[in-house]
Amino acid sequence: MSGQSWLAYSFAALMLLTSAYCLTRLVVSWRHRRPTDHQVDGVHVLKCVAMAGMLVPSLRVFWVGGWEIVFGAGAVLFGWRMISDARARARSGRRSGHHLQHLLACVAMVYMLAAATAEVKPVSGGSAIGGLGSPAHLRTLALVLALGLFAYVVWTADRISSLAPVAAMQAHLATAVAPAAAGGGEPPATAAVASPAGTSQFRTKPRTRAPLSPRLAACCEIAIGVTMGYMLIMML
Amino acid sequence: MTSQALRAPTAAVRPGRWLASLRPVQAAQWTAADIRRRLQLALAAIWLLDAMLQFQAFMFSKDFGRMLAATGQGNPAVIAGPIHWASQLISEHGTMTNAAFALIQLAIGLGIAWRPAIRLALAGSVAWAVAVWWFGEGLGGVLNGAASPVNGAPGAVIIYALLAVLLWPARTGTARTGKPAPFAASMATGVAAARALWLVLWGSLAYFALQPATAAGSALSSLVSGMAAGEPGWLAGTDTHLAAFLLHRGPGTAIVLAVVLAVIAVGIYLPDPAVRVVLILAVLTAAAIWIAEGLGGMLTGGSTDPNSGPMLALLAFAFWPLHARQDRKPDAAAAIDARSIAD
Repeated sequence: MSGQSWLAYSFAALMLLTSAYCLTRLVVSWRHRRPTDHQVDGVHVLKCVAMAGMLVPSLRVFWVGGWEIVFGAGAVLFGWRMISDARARARSGRRSGHHLQHLLACVAMVYMLAAATAEVKPVSGGSAIGGLGSPAHLRTLALVLALGLFAYVVWTADRISSLAPVAAMQAHLATAVAPAAAGGGEPPATAAVASPAGTSQFRTKPRTRAPLSPRLAACCEIAIGVTMGYMLIMML
Repeated sequence: MTSQALRAPTAAVRPGRWLASLRPVQAAQWTAADIRRRLQLALAAIWLLDAMLQFQAFMFSKDFGRMLAATGQGNPAVIAGPIHWASQLISEHGTMTNAAFALIQLAIGLGIAWRPAIRLALAGSVAWAVAVWWFGEGLGGVLNGAASPVNGAPGAVIIYALLAVLLWPARTGTARTGKPAPFAASMATGVAAARALWLVLWGSLAYFALQPATAAGSALSSLVSGMAAGEPGWLAGTDTHLAAFLLHRGPGTAIVLAVVLAVIAVGIYLPDPAVRVVLILAVLTAAAIWIAEGLGGMLTGGSTDPNSGPMLALLAFAFWPLHARQDRKPDAAAAIDARSIAD
């Protein structure tokens, strides 16, 4: 990457922090049975670690080509979830997820990794993504992907205020479950979680557990989107 | 939420229904993203792009300071003096100043996108844009005769400020009449002021198209061919061919461009159906200008913004007549959006 080394280190630190938080979400979700979108959080952990490795080569933890397979699979997964959601929406008329941004991010990861592999060009600061030496079509595609990611970042930031704080969700869950229990009815069989981008995923969980903070998850999405956009712009 | 809605989740309730009980919490703080909000988000995305472009290696070098200093040439001393001072400061403290510039633009972009901060961010963007217009763009070449529609006149960044004013989140509708605003750009300033600003901007572009910087001999051709340097092959090829075409047709093309820009400027006062045609023409003209600008040089690694093309197009969208949209029930749109959030 042709950027400043201190910037690369700063973004790498941000990515490691985000990765640690997303990993914590997965652990807390598993230990305390708090709903979250495991697939999204899991891919975020991997994305952040991979990006930190691209920004600062000494942080690389995977073999060459390994990440491409991981994010290629991620792209297929979110592509499939998009198709499934579209089908479900056609059947029920209800919107159930927003996986386009995850698909876009996975494709951008594959692109950046492939570009870095194709043109390893160490510069002072140590990153390995091509700068002005990149082929023209790669530069153009990098710009297009960056624009897509920025659109998704502002869209996510716009929706943050629409996401309920955890405390409010807990209060509503309590009020939703209490009348059912008092009336002898069964509480709902599943819990669902609204992810930052409005994604929903259903898991069998105890009914009164609120999802892990969707607002913080949105902040992770924004941090990842901005960092990925930075890396793509550095490829121009 | 009604008490019935609270009791709704029972054993028979599907997951989606159960989650719907959370809807009022989310929807209470949320309104449907109307056309103005979408334009604000587009502006936010462009600020984000600018911030990341500002992080490029070139901006941290002394060349960036020299590039800024060059914008002061030919300007009156009162304008050029501060530009010289700023460029010297940036040359001496490149890392610190440039990082600050990028972070300010990042904050503006995220602030516009995050609803609670939108007023602060838009106000900040106006102040920042005016400062950049002066210290970074030398007032867009307006005073030194270098301004041309093809090189970003009257300064791309001043259009950011104009958009921030026109898209200010004031109450929808004109205050005097109480009627719904006919287009997004009029929601804050009113119809007359918004149209006047449009007239001034596009009218000034028409004027600049007739000035020597555009209309003289091979000036237009030189401007366009100059944009090709460092661009990817497809864009460099396009600009090179365009420059070759303009080599002996520069003055004629400049006159045609001025007429088109003047029609766009005054066309905003025509009835709605004609305004739509004018706005389509404005978007097409903005696209052509953007190509001639080499996409603002973004693909060369030395650009701080996408230049005026996208901003002119965004401005045109802000003037698109809204009558057809207002025929719909606003509550329905809000309900659809609230449902999608809850889902």
